[in-house]
Amino acid sequence: MIKDDLVELFCSNVVRAGARAKRVTDTDGLRDTVSELVRGAGSVYCPCVTEMEKVLTISPQTLVADYLKAETTVEEVAAGIAETGTVVCLSSSGKALQAGVVTSHHVAIVSRERIFADLDEFFAWMGGLPPTNITFITGPSRTGDIEQTLSVGVHGPGRLDVIIC
Amino acid sequence: MKHVHTPINFRENAITALQDKALRKALRKAMDLFIMARAVGVSGTPLETWREKASAIRMRVLDDLPAYLDTFSANATKAGAVVYRAKDAQTANDIVFNILKDRGARRIVKSKSMVTEEIGLNEYLLSRDMSVVETDLGEYIVQLAGEPPSHILGPALHKDRQQIGRLFQQKLGVRYTEDVSELIKIARNELRTEFFRADAGISGANFAVSDSGSLVIFTNEGNGRMVTTLPPLHVAVLSIEKMIPSLSDLPTFIRLLPRSASGQTLSSYMSVITGTRKLGELTGAKELHIVLVDNGRFKILAGECREILKCIRCSACLNICPVYRVVGGHAYGSTYPGPMGVVLTTLLNGMDEAHSLLDATTLCGACAEVCPVQVPLPKLLSTLREKRVIDGFTPAGERAAMSVLALAMKVPAVFNLGQIALRFVWPLLQGTVANGRFSGIDPPAKKNFRRRVS
Repeated sequence: MIKDDLVELFCSNVVRAGARAKRVTDTDGLRDTVSELVRGAGSVYCPCVTEMEKVLTISPQTLVADYLKAETTVEEVAAGIAETGTVVCLSSSGKALQAGVVTSHHVAIVSRERIFADLDEFFAWMGGLPPTNITFITGPSRTGDIEQTLSVGVHGPGRLDVIIC
Repeated sequence: MKHVHTPINFRENAITALQDKALRKALRKAMDLFIMARAVGVSGTPLETWREKASAIRMRVLDDLPAYLDTFSANATKAGAVVYRAKDAQTANDIVFNILKDRGARRIVKSKSMVTEEIGLNEYLLSRDMSVVETDLGEYIVQLAGEPPSHILGPALHKDRQQIGRLFQQKLGVRYTEDVSELIKIARNELRTEFFRADAGISGANFAVSDSGSLVIFTNEGNGRMVTTLPPLHVAVLSIEKMIPSLSDLPTFIRLLPRSASGQTLSSYMSVITGTRKLGELTGAKELHIVLVDNGRFKILAGECREILKCIRCSACLNICPVYRVVGGHAYGSTYPGPMGVVLTTLLNGMDEAHSLLDATTLCGACAEVCPVQVPLPKLLSTLREKRVIDGFTPAGERAAMSVLALAMKVPAVFNLGQIALRFVWPLLQGTVANGRFSGIDPPAKKNFRRRVS
């Protein structure tokens, strides 16, 4: 599958899982999209360790160092899987993966170079020695435990935005 | 301990359940939704190929389970976990209790684990002065209500929003509401507090990966992620048959489990946890203890019903079962309901306790059609029914009737005589023996079918 089709499939499956997908082509686009997404958020957590995280311009007033106090987490994730519309976080990135589950809004940035066609391709890339935690995120936190009424945001984020850069 | 050793009275439980209008309505709605969602989820996929593959992988594990367990233990230990083997419920509960006690852990958050229901872990810890809070919304609801879960995937699906509203009002002291999003917000807030002050998290696992020592946990709510990453201590309790050989086998099960359960391509969250937090990492418990529970499974493995151990607890067989669909999970009086539950409970708890569950099937075979790992459930149910007869657990009247029928089937003269005799004893059967249960059935015809067609 050529890369553009793969990205297209990834985006449509991200949306099918109940998240939103946005494609940007350069760092300016990335910066603008993130600023737009976190506008209005009272507190934003960003690990600011990867190149893509470092170019972001999040207002210092809203930026918090403790993810437990944040409303929104913005971070680059390790990979995307087109087959399922999943973003993948790895503990070997040196990040606290729990930051992506305790806030009510999660913005995940994934490099288009790290989008895999399917689960098999992803696990082949991972190899046999996994880090302490691999977290697969497919859509927002959801439950159907009360009368099968689908509700989002029960424990984790009710809103998931995926940016492909 | 939940493990009651009094015989389950399925017939009586079923009669009670059938009279519960609210339950019937809740079940109908939930079951139809699950079945429809599954059908949509599997449509257009190479389902049969996946099932073949998954079944073969599971059989490979069962054929060599001790070796897979040893490899798993070695790899998990290498990654920083401490692995325990528990031969029975008591041992498993003691192991967990001692881990917690030795570290002064009193407040425990828990994500869903069926095997901890099976061994009665919550009651065990609660009776020893520990606080254990279930964090899956459905499990939280049934825990507040003091009930066992009634479905593997939707533990509280037997309750409607009004019942949950009243429960929250009564147990949490909040204002009554039947608004689902309000109810969820209440639970979220209550559970947040628990997550942040917990000393330890207890989870189950959907799969354990032998060649990497990893645990795989699926959740939709995110509670599984919190339980396994927020507290410094993580105790995972799982049954021994959860093994899969390698991470490269995982995609097949990822494709089958959520689709079979709820029709989802993938649950919202899936965590692959391998050992404890390493240098340079900010995620992972500081201590990970893994308790592998046998509790009768090695015995099942050695018997003719071993294929039940392929089960991955998706609950598709519950949703499609014409019996489960009308009586619900509580009628089974066991941790595991539905077709897989009947088989597993009979094997785990023994015929004397569980034989009445073998009536909870029509042998229609729908369960085998939806099973993602091709467990031959109707075959297993028949085998166990046969065993029930051999062990003498069928009523004396039924046994006597069956011997007469067997004789009639073998000897045509007896068969013919029986047909004639039946016409005369019919009123007697109708009135006394059947106690009116045959009232809708016509008496035997004067000229029987064979004579009419020949």
